[in-house]
Amino acid sequence: MGNRAEEDYNFVFKVVLIGESGVGKTNLLSRFTRNEFSHDSRTTIGVEFSTRTVMLGTAAIKAQIWDTAGLERYRAITSAYYRGAVGALLVFDLTKHQTYAVVERWLKELYDHAEATIVVMLVGNKSDLSQSREVPTEEARMFAENNGLLFLETSALDSTNVELAFETVLKEIFAKVSKQRQNNARTNAVTLGSGPAGQELGPGEKRACCISL
Amino acid sequence: MASDGARKQFWKRGSSKVPGSIQHVYGAQHPPFDPLVHGTLLTATPKVPTTPVKATRASTFQEFESSTSDAWDAGEDDDELLAMAAESLNTAVVMETAHRVLRNHSQRQGRPRPPGAPEPSAEPSADPSAAPGGDLRLVKSVSESHASCPEGIVSDAAPLQRSQSLPHAATVALGGAPEPSALSTSALSEREASRLDKFKHLLAGPNTDLEELRKLSWSGIPKPVRAITWKLLSGYLPANVDRRPATLQRKQKEYFAFIDHYYDSRNDEVHQDTYRQIHIDIPRMSPEALILQPKVTEIFERILFIWAIRHPASGYVQGINDLVTPFFVVFICEYIDDEDADSADISRVPEDVLRNVEADTYWCMSRLLDGIQDNYTFAQPGIQMKVKMLEELVSRIDEQVHRHLGQHEVRYLQFTFRWMNNLLTRELPLRCTVRLWDTYQSEPEGFANFHLYVCAAFLVRWRKEILEERDFQELLLFLQNLPTAHWGDEDASLLLAEAYASSSPSRTPPITTRSEASALQWASRAGQCPCCWLQAPAGEERPCWSRSPRRGTGHGQAW
Repeated sequence: MGNRAEEDYNFVFKVVLIGESGVGKTNLLSRFTRNEFSHDSRTTIGVEFSTRTVMLGTAAIKAQIWDTAGLERYRAITSAYYRGAVGALLVFDLTKHQTYAVVERWLKELYDHAEATIVVMLVGNKSDLSQSREVPTEEARMFAENNGLLFLETSALDSTNVELAFETVLKEIFAKVSKQRQNNARTNAVTLGSGPAGQELGPGEKRACCISL
Repeated sequence: MASDGARKQFWKRGSSKVPGSIQHVYGAQHPPFDPLVHGTLLTATPKVPTTPVKATRASTFQEFESSTSDAWDAGEDDDELLAMAAESLNTAVVMETAHRVLRNHSQRQGRPRPPGAPEPSAEPSADPSAAPGGDLRLVKSVSESHASCPEGIVSDAAPLQRSQSLPHAATVALGGAPEPSALSTSALSEREASRLDKFKHLLAGPNTDLEELRKLSWSGIPKPVRAITWKLLSGYLPANVDRRPATLQRKQKEYFAFIDHYYDSRNDEVHQDTYRQIHIDIPRMSPEALILQPKVTEIFERILFIWAIRHPASGYVQGINDLVTPFFVVFICEYIDDEDADSADISRVPEDVLRNVEADTYWCMSRLLDGIQDNYTFAQPGIQMKVKMLEELVSRIDEQVHRHLGQHEVRYLQFTFRWMNNLLTRELPLRCTVRLWDTYQSEPEGFANFHLYVCAAFLVRWRKEILEERDFQELLLFLQNLPTAHWGDEDASLLLAEAYASSSPSRTPPITTRSEASALQWASRAGQCPCCWLQAPAGEERPCWSRSPRRGTGHGQAW
């Protein structure tokens, strides 16, 4: 049952996918982890989970990605999953301005429950539907810059930038972790910033959620 | 149900403020929406039920009659509900059924189970209400012939499929207990024919014995009588045969009055978010071939929108949409010949029939949701509580599986949230959901309480795979994508039998007895918090989750 080839990895990074319902979070994830796209993928209920291991230099990084439902009613459940995340993709649909207008609220939600040092990328999805674009690229880019977020436009449908988006986030996390490890060379704990007590690195860096913020 | 007596009094008093079929909902945080207070509930022309009814002004006798007539209906409903509450299922019959299914299954599987179960008996059951478990192989072959889904037969060892794509390939065969004509052996045929006869006899009236109907339905309802049996079991149809046509007509009229009155408001500012969500969710449902037919899409939109704005305590929550499908499919199957409802061409169904199916679906779905609305109110306290209860249950039924999950840091909420929120509709093919619902509707609180035992049986069903997996991520991937695409009637029946066995007092005395109503009530009576099982301080009766619904897991300190 599972892919045994993926067993060897040096790091597990927990990443969350957030954003309004229907912006394409689940398809971004399935494109990244299984190279699949479905026009009628089912609505995500609560939180769903997927993984993929990527190589960054000589390090094998296992991305443990939590795809959260956009529906507001699930917020009480889903926000619990932000804890321990070291990366987030905040997705909006660039053909629906309403999904972009609430990005700030999502950001607040994220920072309320995750650590402030979390790596966040703003993702404008559905770039293949440029004829019905409602959010100008520059506007979103400016917002991202002002808020210290990474930014990319993607299309889960035609694969544009999907790989790049996830890899950029993972690289950024990896860079932070590496820097942290150098700083804390003498300690056993790998943390980014001031992590909550009790989240120590497991032996061999092989436990889920082993990198805490 | 505790307030039934009082409610009945209220109804009988004949107050003019009769709120249709809106009932007080356990767990709701706001009083039910009353259209008579918030606007004029229309009155309808009593003429033709299939034409859209327009609002007529004025206080005519017809208006009075139409706004109060369901008071009597409600009164009778209450009688039926009270009767339901008072009577519990005949434990001996169900137990016997459960044991028989388990026995036959273990015989086939060649593994010892259940302890203490008597030796399998060879003679066919004399009791037609028992499960079709006399010869499971025969049943299986029948249910497979009904299923007629070549792609549906997937090996357990096949790569995991995302559950989203689960029922696509598998045709929905709502065979249930098979029809006599489709049977391959005379013995089975005879038994099933007699079963169907028994159903028909019960349904013929003049008054259907609902207790008897529940007993019979527990082990599966034959397809030809499933629609009417569901309507009776849900309390939508009166037990009295003579009153059924009038009741149906009135409820159908009432539903379309709601449509006339409310549906145009879907683009108003207050409702547009609700409508938008429903509108983008329906195309993401399954089975696509059915749901994506424009007429069906519109029907689902109307049903969900009307339900949502009439139940503002919860409104529309994803998952509720999946609860429409089984009713719609079962009711529409009365009118189409196709074996598989998946690809049934609805455009061939007459317009008035479709309207009736829509109204019936709305009311039956409403009744189901009345029992589980706290699953969908703010912070979803019903689900949080049920996940806790499930965890407790599994720790008693299969401590090894429970410990294994814990050791690998898998939390129940991570994979059972969807089981509760969508009542397993995402985990099982539609045909299994339909079979499950035969039983849920025969149980006193099937969707709220017995569902927990089914979930526990469902989890333990995968114990071998779970125990073999020693990695958090692989465990979670497996649990979120369980390979059930090929499941049929037999698997569903087995699950129900296992669930019954674990809910029965003889096997797990500490949990509860089903005749004592819900486990929640049991916990409250025992003075324990139903989510954390801590003892309540003297005099404190409310469970902790109802005090601080935002923190389903932060119970301890709430006491």
